[in-house]
Amino acid sequence: MLHLAPVRLLRQSLLLLRSELRQELRDLELVLTSTFFTLVVLGMFYLSFAALEKKHTMPAVPGLLWLTVAFVGTITLTRAFDREREADTLRALLAAPVERLAIYVAKAGSTLLVLLVCCALLVPGLASMFPAGQVFWDMPLETVALVVLGCLGYVAIGTLFAAGLAGGGGKNMLLAVILYPVTTPVLMFALVTTRALLDKNPNLPSYLGQMAALDVILLGLGALLFEPVLVGAAPARTAQAARQHARDRLRTTGREEPR
Amino acid sequence: MSGAQQPITPIVLRSISQRFGRKVVLRGVDLELRARSITGLVGANGAGKTTLFLILAGLLQPDGGERRYGERVVADIDLELRARLAYVAHAPQLYPGLGARANLELFAELRHAAGLSSRPADDVLRGLGLPAEALDRPVSTFSRGMAQRVALARAVAGDPELLLLDEPFTALDARGRAQLAGALLAERDRGAAILLSSHDQGTLLRVCDRLVLLEAGAIVREVERGDDDPAGFAARASEVLGAVGPDDHAAA
Repeated sequence: MLHLAPVRLLRQSLLLLRSELRQELRDLELVLTSTFFTLVVLGMFYLSFAALEKKHTMPAVPGLLWLTVAFVGTITLTRAFDREREADTLRALLAAPVERLAIYVAKAGSTLLVLLVCCALLVPGLASMFPAGQVFWDMPLETVALVVLGCLGYVAIGTLFAAGLAGGGGKNMLLAVILYPVTTPVLMFALVTTRALLDKNPNLPSYLGQMAALDVILLGLGALLFEPVLVGAAPARTAQAARQHARDRLRTTGREEPR
Repeated sequence: MSGAQQPITPIVLRSISQRFGRKVVLRGVDLELRARSITGLVGANGAGKTTLFLILAGLLQPDGGERRYGERVVADIDLELRARLAYVAHAPQLYPGLGARANLELFAELRHAAGLSSRPADDVLRGLGLPAEALDRPVSTFSRGMAQRVALARAVAGDPELLLLDEPFTALDARGRAQLAGALLAERDRGAAILLSSHDQGTLLRVCDRLVLLEAGAIVREVERGDDDPAGFAARASEVLGAVGPDDHAAA
């Protein structure tokens, strides 16, 4: 007897996420690449901008934060689906009695965790290097909310496109080309909210609320489109199939097709 | 099998068509797969065999035609159907860092999470001739033949009603092919409908109840093993196989 869909989804998502994390813990490939990249970027930012006065670094810090997230996210998403592509394991999961949404949840979840590990280095790094980033220490809860919401929005849409390319045998180069434009709205929103945080804008809760709403929309979109992106959209094809079948039947009985 | 549920066999494809861009890959394929029967799908490379497998497994939506699984005409191979079929591609599709046992256990856990049963991994793997010392070795260290056995073990562990095998004999030695053929006959006797594609003509002749020739995306010939005339089947099947080309394992 099959369990109810929400139960299946929850259990299978957790199992797949555990499998992803075990795989990552075994070779630490994504975490090491991403954290090393983050540290290098932090060092370069420091050498380039540390001599500037606070008023000049203030507008730069949000850009530095989300630029790094965008690059780390691309590296992580590309590699996460490369693993599936190399062994064609994504197709094995798609053919198995697994909720396809669980695959999306697990991939997005593991990518989010890697991004958050990098942000755990990046945000304190920026706060220590630039006086403008001191606000991150002063308002830790708001900072955590900002980082989590920004990264969540990024992986919600990024995972969808990365999966589409992995399933379709697309090239990694295409992922970068597609990923930056589609994640730009999320990154812009996160950038504006970070600026509001650094300015201690009284409307910050409203900005965070809007980010959360955007995340809900993007997650909904990802959940809705994940399966059609991977195996093709059934409903439109069904209508087409039905029309084709009707035509075939008419042809075999020697009657003309109605117009 | 699934107790009180309606069987998903026979599986009937009607007028299935598929194109990729301008290339027409399948042209109005009609095919029936029955329970307790092994159907051999033969055809040259590029004839459309793998596309047909993907459509049957729900990994590709056909452009046209109808798929019927038992009493149900389906537009989308949903989880309930996927629970009752298994697909083995010509790549083993295993997690290379995991052992054979861990690969099977992951999929068994996913089945259990959905409320489905699965045979114990060790039993199935040993049944397919995987040595005990190889059970926990990463499959990245396996030969292609061993990996193929693990892939088949994963497929049969859930006792599927429909077993789709796209060139499962690739890279297997003579002993491996004989073991796999034995396993397929056991699955058929259990009640499964099996669609098997292979270039190993000897094994096809030995195990198949029916041979279907796919040419340029269309089924052009079918021969069936009758109860009364085994020699006649062998002769007619040889004609079909001859149309495909030389046997991959003729020298083996």
